[in-house]
Amino acid sequence: MSSNKLRIEPRRKRRCRDADKGGRSLISHRALIVLLLCLCCWLSACAKRKGLVVLLPDPDGKTGAVTVSNKGGTETITEPGKATEIRSFDKAPKTAVAIPESEIREVFGDALDAQPPVPAHYLVYFLSNTTELDPESRETLKDVFTALKRIKPSEVSIVGHTDRVGTKERNYQLGLERARIIREIVIAEGVSEALIETISHGEDNPLIKTDDEVPEPKNRRVEIVIR
Amino acid sequence: MRRKTYFWGFLFLILAVSLFGEEFAVGYLKAISGTAQIVRQGENLELRIGDKVFKNDVLRTGPNSSLGITFKDDTLLSLGPNSQVVVNDFAFSPAEGKLSFAARILKGTVVYLSGIIGKLAPDAARLQTPYANIGFRGTRVAVQIEGEAQHVIE
Repeated sequence: MSSNKLRIEPRRKRRCRDADKGGRSLISHRALIVLLLCLCCWLSACAKRKGLVVLLPDPDGKTGAVTVSNKGGTETITEPGKATEIRSFDKAPKTAVAIPESEIREVFGDALDAQPPVPAHYLVYFLSNTTELDPESRETLKDVFTALKRIKPSEVSIVGHTDRVGTKERNYQLGLERARIIREIVIAEGVSEALIETISHGEDNPLIKTDDEVPEPKNRRVEIVIR
Repeated sequence: MRRKTYFWGFLFLILAVSLFGEEFAVGYLKAISGTAQIVRQGENLELRIGDKVFKNDVLRTGPNSSLGITFKDDTLLSLGPNSQVVVNDFAFSPAEGKLSFAARILKGTVVYLSGIIGKLAPDAARLQTPYANIGFRGTRVAVQIEGEAQHVIE
C-alpha cells in the first residue's frame, strides 16, 4: 500500500508542474478529467443502440405481440409499427415507440425483400370410397395452380386422408391413392418430383372426429401445402 | 454365438439408421443475393435456391447480401447484409407434441414471421441475441443487432 503511494507521488508532482506550465490550476485539470470520464461512461453505456426490435404487421392482418427481455427487464410490443431499443444486456429495453415506415425500410429493406412468400395451404375433398374429386374441389385446384406460379421453386407436401368407413389398412391405401392423384396433377403443372412429398394418414387424422364406419365428407380430403 | 453377433449387428444398424433419420432438413433456401453463405459442420457451402437447411447451420451474409429461408412449419426467416444467425433448435412433430424453434442472432438484420410452431405453442418459439431474448405471440418482427458479439445471452 505504502509502496504504491510512493510510486504515484512523483507522477502527481510532474503533472502539477505540467499544469502550471500550461497556466491552469490543479482543480480545473481534475474537473476536466472527471467530466471526460463521465462523458466516456455515458457514451459507451447509454448512447449507443445495440439492438432494435420492431413489431411488423402480420400478412394475415392479425395483430400479434413481441416480448423483448433481458437482465434489466422486459418490454412487450403489441402495436405494429412500434419498436424498442436495447442498449445493453443488463439494461431494460426502452419503452416501445412508433418508428417511421421510412426508417424500417432503411434499416430492414434488404431483409424484408429476402422474405420468402408466405406458404399456401389447401384442402380438396373426395367422393366416398373413391379417388374422385368433389366438383367444388376442382375450383380449389385452380387456386393451387396460381400458388404454384407465385411460389417458385415450390416444395409441395401432399397428405391423403379418409373417413372411417372401411378397414384401417384399406383407408391407409385409399389415402395414399388420393395423395398420388394430386401428386400427378402437381407434376403436370411442372413441379419437379424431387420437391414433392406424398404421404397418407389414412383414417387416423380426421378433421371431424366420428365413430367407426361413419361417412364424413370433411374427412375425405387431401391437404396440399406449397412452400 | 454367431447368431448373437448378427443380432447385435442388426440392432446397431437399426440404431444408426434411426439416429441419422433425425437429421431431416428443417427448411429450404428460398432467396439468396450477393455473398450469402451457409457453414455446416465447419464447411463453407456453395448455395443454390431450393437447397436444404439443417439444424445448427450457420447462416452468413456479406455486404449488400441477403438470404431467405422457409421452414417446414411455415416459419419465414430472412437476413439482410452483414448478418450472422444460427438456427439452433427446430422440432416440428405436432402429433408427438414436439414443437420448438430457436435462432441465435449474433449480428445484422433479420425479419422473422412465425409459422405453425409459433401458433400452436407460442412459448416454443424464440430468438436469442447478445442483448435480449425475444418471444412472440404469432407475429412478424424485425430485429437489428449492432456490433460483433460472440455469444447470445441465455
